[in-house]
Amino acid sequence: MVALVIALALFFDFTNGFHDTANAMATPIATGAIKPKTAVTLAAILNLVGAFLSTEVAKTVSGGIIREGSDGVQITPDIIFAGLMGAILWNMITWLKGLPSSSSHALFGGLIGAAIAGIGFNSVNLETLLQKVILPAIFAPLIAGLVAYLCTRLAYALTSRHDPETGSKLTQKRGGFRTGQIFTSSLVALAHGTNDAQKTMGIITLVLISAGTQAPGSGPQFWVITACAVAIAVGTYVGGWRIIRTMGSGLTEVKPAQGFAAETSTASAILASSHLGFALSTTQVASGSVIGSGMGRKGTTVRWNMVGKIALGWLFTLPAAGIVGALTALLVKTGVVGVVIAAVAGTTAVLFMFFYSRKSSVGHHNAVEVEEAGHAVRFAKKKALARARARANQQKDAARANQQKDAATADQPNDAAQANQQKDAQL
Amino acid sequence: MKWLELLTVAGTTLVSAVTVVVLYSLGVRLTAIAGDAEQASPRAKRYFAYTCFGLCGVAVLFGLYLIIPYFSK
Repeated sequence: MVALVIALALFFDFTNGFHDTANAMATPIATGAIKPKTAVTLAAILNLVGAFLSTEVAKTVSGGIIREGSDGVQITPDIIFAGLMGAILWNMITWLKGLPSSSSHALFGGLIGAAIAGIGFNSVNLETLLQKVILPAIFAPLIAGLVAYLCTRLAYALTSRHDPETGSKLTQKRGGFRTGQIFTSSLVALAHGTNDAQKTMGIITLVLISAGTQAPGSGPQFWVITACAVAIAVGTYVGGWRIIRTMGSGLTEVKPAQGFAAETSTASAILASSHLGFALSTTQVASGSVIGSGMGRKGTTVRWNMVGKIALGWLFTLPAAGIVGALTALLVKTGVVGVVIAAVAGTTAVLFMFFYSRKSSVGHHNAVEVEEAGHAVRFAKKKALARARARANQQKDAARANQQKDAATADQPNDAAQANQQKDAQL
Repeated sequence: MKWLELLTVAGTTLVSAVTVVVLYSLGVRLTAIAGDAEQASPRAKRYFAYTCFGLCGVAVLFGLYLIIPYFSK
């Protein structure tokens, strides 16, 4: 059971990785700062590094929501198994829909659902739930959005260039932001590694402690850290292109300066929150930043119906993952057969979603219209248009000439006819 | 409730993000000015720009230094 749970936790880490590639890499890909493949590779490496940097979060993130220890109930590997199942399935569904939803909320939701079904309502600590999940969910996008809005405003104000005499716009030369994006998005990837890989480390450590193979209260072991880091890096490398598409171009159009501002706000919000004890969800921070930066630039429209869709997804994350978690917990309660059924059903569902996704594949080639490609296309279009117009003109000219010719030839017989008529009349 | 912590997080986020963005934007602006043809002292401006980028990098590294427990021990 313990081995199964660890495997499942690592798989969750993997889905977390590819679900959240978008947070770091959607905006630089959208602005063309980094090529898509390079971007995910970079993100994967930085996630790997980030996972090793700090293990502070692992100790605090998942603890407290479910009453543990002597005065509460004992978390069993069964409950964690069920919770992870809920989290993974919800992650897969939102990935399929291309919705950036919070992996940590899915995890919390799954665990809460499993605990309620497996142990009972009193096992959930409502106050901690409010404090650790619901309030951050409201404030994460707000804080990040506001900061990103201000930063975008500042970035544009500082770099807008006008001719002092005529007041007309000079070339703005904001290309430097594109280079800057490489660094800021790397920072976001690093922050994601330190933040999200640790949730899984926390879970595995919890399992090991509950199974009695590790002393309570101790930090994650080295092999756990390594396994989690590798899992999240591989997941990131595989890349959730569907979500990248939503984040990179679905919410608002992103220009380099905006992307820079958004990423800086995301990175600082995640790093600040995870190290000051008020954990915010990476996904919600990143989405908030993108929206905020969209509002900060004049002439950019934010696609609010897409924002609404995402917000709805966030609302459903906790209960939906909770329901799956609860159902799994009920199955697991029945014994070994239940565990096998749950495992098989879960695997089938994941495989089904994977194959279903193949039908309309979104890969690095079509995730976001890279700006360079966009230019190329527009350029080609212009050329093609010009050519087409030239051809049309030629044809028109030719047609006109033909018409004239036709008319001329048509006139001649007419004239002849008229002449004949006149002749006839004269006769 | 952890209102104080929430405020700290919001404040830290704001300060660090604004610092980085302002420094980098200044760098970008100065590079742009230095690139203008009729500038009097493009070299000095370019050095200022590099200083801005450098300070920005230092700010980021300082943030990381604060965060990574390995250094703060």
